Amino acid sequence: MSIQHHPVDELLTDFAAGTLDLGQHVAVATHLTRCSRCRDAMHLMEHVGGAVLAGLSPTPMSGDALARVEARLRQPVVYEARREEPEPGTLDDMPGLPAFVRRYPAASWKWIAPGVRLRPIRLPAESDTRVFLLKSAPGTKMLEHTHTGTEMTCVLTGSFSHEAGNYSPGDFDLGDNTMNHNVTVGPGEDCICLVAMHGDLRLAGIIGTLIQPFIRM
Amino acid sequence: MISPVRQRASDSGYWASLIEAVAVHEDRAAFGALLEHFAPLVKTFMRRSGVTEASADELAQETLLAVWRKASLFDPSTAGAAAWIFTIARNLRIDSYRRGRRDGLTESSDVDAEFQVEDSPGPDSRVAAAQAETRVRAALAQLSEDQRRVLELSFYEEKAHGEIARILRIPLGTVKSRSRLAMNRLRNLLGEFS
Repeated sequence: MSIQHHPVDELLTDFAAGTLDLGQHVAVATHLTRCSRCRDAMHLMEHVGGAVLAGLSPTPMSGDALARVEARLRQPVVYEARREEPEPGTLDDMPGLPAFVRRYPAASWKWIAPGVRLRPIRLPAESDTRVFLLKSAPGTKMLEHTHTGTEMTCVLTGSFSHEAGNYSPGDFDLGDNTMNHNVTVGPGEDCICLVAMHGDLRLAGIIGTLIQPFIRM
Repeated sequence: MISPVRQRASDSGYWASLIEAVAVHEDRAAFGALLEHFAPLVKTFMRRSGVTEASADELAQETLLAVWRKASLFDPSTAGAAAWIFTIARNLRIDSYRRGRRDGLTESSDVDAEFQVEDSPGPDSRVAAAQAETRVRAALAQLSEDQRRVLELSFYEEKAHGEIARILRIPLGTVKSRSRLAMNRLRNLLGEFS
């Protein structure tokens, strides 16, 4: 099925500008991996970035800067050793993730509610956004919830639907505190999504209060 | 009268041919011209991103050094010279920002990987570079000064929108709506030229 739900233009611009928080960058990258239309738009924004750069007024370089660069041209490139090598292949079984995300270390699946499991992904740099995979069984009705921040979701397998429509692999959903979601997972197969959550989820009802600590991880 | 340098500077094909000369012949003279032209532009880009004078100078040097080392990766059919150098500068800025936060688990090659979102080889509908550059230039020329400003600022500011609001002294919501309008307009214009 073709992709129906795309990130808003501003997000593609921020991605191309390199100003997104890493967790949010991961969510948009996951969509871009599947969506050539948004890739084109993002690359056009890189051209806009090039035009911006070309149109800036130059700032004189410090006295010997240019000579220093020239002097370094012949030096061999020294790469720093990685401080921490992620376990290879932790997320290799996950279809639809960008290659760089598949190299990130991930914890094992945790039960958080009937039919719902969560798998945290560890980002290699500090981020205000938590990224995890969420796996829900077919037909699961997710708890009614709102957000204190923004939540980006990209479907990897299966499908879900809420007030704004149906979401299939590659579809991108942006939730914020203006929405109150009633999510139902589609039939037939597990729905696995990559979620980048900024701020906290607010779950309605007593069960929500009980599982809140688990979602905070 | 337009100086020869200005003329060449406006010809993106000229800069692309210099990068190719670096890639193929390790042409020092070609690199010297790129260095002299782009390092001061990258320095301005870094300064406006909130980087200190000394770090901006350093990052401009690193960017041009990367141009020398990665010249063979430059594909003139998909990226214009300025767009390619912009992506190198952008990635080094992210890398430097992370190092500054002392969580230095990444290196610049990791940042590069974070922008690899082409899923498979094969024909992407990616627009040819020369065409994209012409389209982008024509579209930008048609935006209002205000729209261009909002759009441009979002490229070299960390925490883009909040900063723009502060600089233009307008509420954050206004920046967001203007930015959305500017983007829509740009998208429409870019569509018209395709």
